[in-house]
Amino acid sequence: MVFILLVMFGISAVFVFPTISQAESEQKVFVTHSGAVVKTTGEVLDPLYTSATVEFDPMEYLRDFNYGRISQLADGTTLREFTVIANDDEIMEVSPGIFYNVWTFNGTVPGPTIRATEGDIVRINFINNGEKQHTMHFHGIHPAGMDGVFEPVGGNGGQFIYEFEAGPVGVHPYHCHVMPLEEHIVHGLYGVFIVDPKEKRPAADEMVMVLNGLDTDFDTENNFYAANTIPFYYQHHPIQINTDELIRVYVVNMVEFDPINNFHLHGNLYKYYPTGTDIVPSFYTDMITLSQTERGIMEFEYKYPGKYLFHAHKVEFSEKGWIGIFLVNENKERIESEGYGT
Amino acid sequence: MELSNKSSKGKLIASGVIPFAFLVILIAYIFGPGSELLDLGVPLPEITMEKVDFLDSEIQVTVRNTGPIPVEVAMADINDRIQPAAVEPDRYLQRYETALVRIPFEWNEAEPYRIGITIEDGTRFEKEIEAAAPTLEPSLELVGFFAIIGTYVGIIPVMIGLLWLPFIKRISKQKYHFFLALTVGLLLFLGIDSVEEALDVSDESLADSFNGVLLVSTVLLISFLGLNYTGEKLVSRAKSSRITKPVAIALMISIGIGLHNFGEGLAIGAAVGLGSIAFSTFLIIGFALHNTTEGIAIAAPLSREKKVIGKLAAMGLIAGAPAIFGAWVGGFVYSPFTSVVFLSIGAGAIFQVIIIILKWIREEGDKNLSSIAVVSGIAAGMLIMYVTGMLI
Repeated sequence: MVFILLVMFGISAVFVFPTISQAESEQKVFVTHSGAVVKTTGEVLDPLYTSATVEFDPMEYLRDFNYGRISQLADGTTLREFTVIANDDEIMEVSPGIFYNVWTFNGTVPGPTIRATEGDIVRINFINNGEKQHTMHFHGIHPAGMDGVFEPVGGNGGQFIYEFEAGPVGVHPYHCHVMPLEEHIVHGLYGVFIVDPKEKRPAADEMVMVLNGLDTDFDTENNFYAANTIPFYYQHHPIQINTDELIRVYVVNMVEFDPINNFHLHGNLYKYYPTGTDIVPSFYTDMITLSQTERGIMEFEYKYPGKYLFHAHKVEFSEKGWIGIFLVNENKERIESEGYGT
Repeated sequence: MELSNKSSKGKLIASGVIPFAFLVILIAYIFGPGSELLDLGVPLPEITMEKVDFLDSEIQVTVRNTGPIPVEVAMADINDRIQPAAVEPDRYLQRYETALVRIPFEWNEAEPYRIGITIEDGTRFEKEIEAAAPTLEPSLELVGFFAIIGTYVGIIPVMIGLLWLPFIKRISKQKYHFFLALTVGLLLFLGIDSVEEALDVSDESLADSFNGVLLVSTVLLISFLGLNYTGEKLVSRAKSSRITKPVAIALMISIGIGLHNFGEGLAIGAAVGLGSIAFSTFLIIGFALHNTTEGIAIAAPLSREKKVIGKLAAMGLIAGAPAIFGAWVGGFVYSPFTSVVFLSIGAGAIFQVIIIILKWIREEGDKNLSSIAVVSGIAAGMLIMYVTGMLI
């Protein structure tokens, strides 16, 4: 009996006591959302504070506008030619350690920002190098045959030329319109099409933000949200802007599954131009709600330097990556000119 | 057949080895490199969150790769909101390997939480916790606390049950058989109870790849066969040694009940550890009541013996003390796998004890297992357990 008791005690001791004396050498450090510093002997799983080694650079995409190869038609109209290549076999590290099969226009999600002036002729040489059928469907005004819906372009080199007059003025999405549509959009086949008015808008620091989501486990719910694809990117790499300088953001909501998205700016309000079709703002606010493919132009200036968040005030989205920071720097030019002026 | 020389021995070995060699070739052909026969379907990764601990400002998750392919742990979330976290020792998990995911988080007691782990292909796995409660940090104080609880639940009730011995001693043979049969009923109920509990735990917390039902039946059967073998040895040796057959039987019963009580200790320790205090109070009262009947089971075979006080005390300890060790293990190092294994061992032990007692009644009595005493005893045992069991 004593033997059995001893054996039982021994087994229990083996299970219990290693957890009592657990002294380990701590090595790596990371910071939590609430600012606590945590040490670990293992690896850090951190979509926020580690520098993402992503192939797609949201900072480059932010201010990258494509005006096309420009030539004049006989009647003097400007022709802008673009080449867009679709693909559907790329695996991209969308967040540190997480790999997802993105479908791309010109290799990125979102695809290139296509920009023209109202009345220009836009000609897009579309090549489908994917395995599935794809198209380009532009929101805007164009002939039925250029709508990219009933003219699916076959994979492995299929071609199509989209040609139409740029209009109306504003910011519009373009996306693949092959069924099942949700699948083609969610995988990344979309981008932004900006039509500038003939009389240019005032000079500004301009940027494009596509609000999007990633459903990495295909359960028709987004696992990540972001401005420009990479979750938490602009929080880790703040967007640098200047005080007293007009900022113009072209915002397009491409989130699927969730009926709404929104855009909240800290420490400021913005003038909002829905769809960008008017030159008079409709709202002066810090919060705009957007449904699927709803978009608009936001204009604001910061008076005070410092760090300001911008994020979805649907907090679930911001806590899954749709959050960023504007780092507002003192505008040296203005200070100097003010100094000289007085 | 008698083997007279080396060549026939060689033939014997060869005849044993050759079919085995063919089997190896067959397996190599089906699964080996270059084989496309079984190249069907896509293997899906799977992880299981076996244990979630709520510490000071931190939630810790024990993750096991229970799928057919290696995985990498890539991200953690709480309530579907992404959190910075750490994974120790590293994020690469081979099959059945475990890692500890540490998620710093200011959790609130008694609130429900959903813990999510995302792996490298973007698949998210989730585990729901009904109510967060601080995980017990092993300390001498707690070790003592569990020892006291184990004593209340295991040792004292069994000892109280043993006090019925003088009563059982004075009754007729018929009534004595009734009490032995009552013991069978009690044990039968406990055995079924253990199996049910083991299946519940495997359903809730064990990955499919552990094959819960088969794990329980395999361990149960091995436990049964092992104890049956040693039990038979003990009883047959009893004839020639100092211990009598009734003592040997009582000893086997107390060992069986001890293994079962280890399982009960696990349940109590785990309930306290998981913070379900109300539930664990119920468990403690319920098991205490219920375990007095286990004392009767041990006392019954000894009722025809003399000078049994010392033996009774020892057997009470064997049957009751494992509840203490169970509570330690359950409270400090709970793991669903070991729980299932211990519960199954306990069940196997109990079924084996039932066989011993039935044999004993059959030999003692008139080779009759369907007398009114036996039948009503077993039925009464089941009923008593059912009624006291409702208190748990």
